Amino acid sequence: MPELMNHVEFRTALENAIKGKSANKAPFSIAWASGKLSRAHLARWAENHYHYVGPFADYLAYIYARMPERYTEAKDFLLANMYEEEIGGDRHTDLLIRFAEACGTTRARVIDSDNMTATTRGLQSWCYAVAMREDPIVAVAGLVVGLESQVPSIYRKQTPTLREKYKFTDEEVEFFDLHIVSDEIHGERGYQIVLEHANTVELQQRCLKICEVGAQMRLLYTTALYWDYVAKDIPISEIENVEPKVQQGERQLLQA
Amino acid sequence: MPRITFHRDGQAYEGEVGDNTNLVVRAGIKQFPFPHLRYGCGMGKCGKCACRVLKGAEQLPEPNWKEKKRLGAGLDEGYRLICQLWLSHDIELEQDKIPVEPLAPAAS
Repeated sequence: MPELMNHVEFRTALENAIKGKSANKAPFSIAWASGKLSRAHLARWAENHYHYVGPFADYLAYIYARMPERYTEAKDFLLANMYEEEIGGDRHTDLLIRFAEACGTTRARVIDSDNMTATTRGLQSWCYAVAMREDPIVAVAGLVVGLESQVPSIYRKQTPTLREKYKFTDEEVEFFDLHIVSDEIHGERGYQIVLEHANTVELQQRCLKICEVGAQMRLLYTTALYWDYVAKDIPISEIENVEPKVQQGERQLLQA
Repeated sequence: MPRITFHRDGQAYEGEVGDNTNLVVRAGIKQFPFPHLRYGCGMGKCGKCACRVLKGAEQLPEPNWKEKKRLGAGLDEGYRLICQLWLSHDIELEQDKIPVEPLAPAAS
């Protein structure tokens, strides 16, 4: 029977729940980090990614509206995240579109929802469902801790490659640069909300479970990008030479 | 552990932070130098976090493209964008009362 964890134990448990299914292990991420993708592959990524992260402020707004009034600081954190995503500086999705255009696609193609895969549609739908239906603290754990807090570690690995191996300019990859700072803030705010308010065994366990599922959803999405767009050009065996754990990671995913 | 001395409005605030710390990230989660450090977009665009480096500038990396674009001649006067810096050494900073003017938004 699980017991109530203190903040340190609970944070470690959340981090472990995410780590097991980190999207860093997806073949698409490994191919990206090792410089194997073409600009066309990256364009397909951008066209899909827009539909996953584009509505992030929407997801947060649903959680914000359902967050109890007495959790003022949690509400303020969510509001700050929404503001920073949309109007704190450049709109984050505009920077994503700038990157997409540098990859050879167009704004019209990026915003056209017909250009996302079924798996991306599934991830977006899952995000909406969590935001609209889960306990708001559990929803923060799933979307902010489970998904958003992974971003700095992913982009920290990918951004230097975009400049050095793919030869993008600084301005073209600004979308990735800013996320290293802003998602670090957002992810940490998410941890603070969850650590503070998941104050029963049941809530803590639900937060852990949704973090695990959230990380799994992101891994599923990233893995699908490989199979839908890249596998025909770069066989999995070539990726395994870079990262031998890919196949095992994917098997775990399919069995999950 | 880097020791931060932060001046604003004639007051000095001191604190220690972990290695490789971004002060805007800290302020964003309401830890020192919150509430004293003013910041905005966290992406090197608005310039609200700009500070003059009084001590420790020699250990900072060269200004990146965002700092060059945003601060221009201000770099020669010792200004840096704090959102763009990950600190691993002691530093003394001063933030002006009035922030620099933000750049226009990117064309969409």
